[in-house]
Amino acid sequence: MSDAAALSNSHDDHGHGHGHIDHTATSTGIENKKLIMWLFLASDCMFFGTLISTHLIYRKVYPDGPVDPTVVFNIPLTSFSTFILLMSSFLMALAVSAMHKGELKSFRNNVLGVVFFGIIFLTCQVFEFTEFVYGKHDADGNLVWEGFTLSTGTFGSTFFVLTGTHGTHVAIGVLWLIGLYFYSFTGRMEHDIHGSAMDVEVAGLYWHFVDIVWIVIFTAIYLVEFINFT
Amino acid sequence: MSEVSALLPENIKSENKKYHAFINLGLFLAVLTGIEIVVIFFPWNPWLIFWVLAILSIIKFVCVITWFMHLVYDKLLLTLIFMTGMILATGTVTALMLLFSFDDVDVEAVEILELGVLTLRPLLAL
Repeated sequence: MSDAAALSNSHDDHGHGHGHIDHTATSTGIENKKLIMWLFLASDCMFFGTLISTHLIYRKVYPDGPVDPTVVFNIPLTSFSTFILLMSSFLMALAVSAMHKGELKSFRNNVLGVVFFGIIFLTCQVFEFTEFVYGKHDADGNLVWEGFTLSTGTFGSTFFVLTGTHGTHVAIGVLWLIGLYFYSFTGRMEHDIHGSAMDVEVAGLYWHFVDIVWIVIFTAIYLVEFINFT
Repeated sequence: MSEVSALLPENIKSENKKYHAFINLGLFLAVLTGIEIVVIFFPWNPWLIFWVLAILSIIKFVCVITWFMHLVYDKLLLTLIFMTGMILATGTVTALMLLFSFDDVDVEAVEILELGVLTLRPLLAL
């Protein structure tokens, strides 16, 4: 029996003929898990908003710090990271869609893809941070530019706190999705397909949020540095 | 067969429609990212480049929250909740940027403030 057929036979009867399954009756008509996740994301917007503001303001007040972002930022690497995160968002959307269709195998494949892309993103960030801390050397071992840390001026502090917080969010998302992947093998998802689809959707919301935060960081923190306003 | 089982093909049809939207959106976002990377190296007016980047980012942002995050398929309340957070965050960023946008910012005052924080830190730790 296919995953979809197995899942369809294990459904509870709550459909209303809209092509969408409404299960839990709440006063808002929205599942509590989803509502709470959206509230959390709204609060997280404000959290990242303050971090981004802090970085931009310190860049404005202290434009000539010990670090020149146009020299140290590796735009090809960051662009690659951005592309990877966007594609992971795409796969996450497919994973949620697969779960709503009851296609467990497709869900697993897509989630594995998201986890893989998430790990690539984190690897790129670790590489970038390592380069920032130890500085860059050419092929002969000569120092091209000196490294900087969390305590190297305001730039180091605000940059590492902002991108590090985002990286932590990505890491939590990866762990969450790995958990969901292994959970899918316990057989419990087949028994409550709607509840499981909601769990996956909530995880997906978190993952997409991580992606949109990076869209803002990539533009406001990385790309804007390369615009010569003088 | 249960009622929902009978409705499942309808769900699949609806999800398949989304699938094509997701693929198109994925490609569109990849193209926008490519444009962003190229634009910063164009010899254009810096403010033009800035606004092009800002608009492209807003488009990407809106596309992800609308389709990938299902806001277009969900109830309006969720959009309002998220927009409340977004407006507060954007308002904070904008207000702070405007406050610090004057060129005669008293850097010395900021430094004195920081010195005060540094001085108070050991006391607060106690």
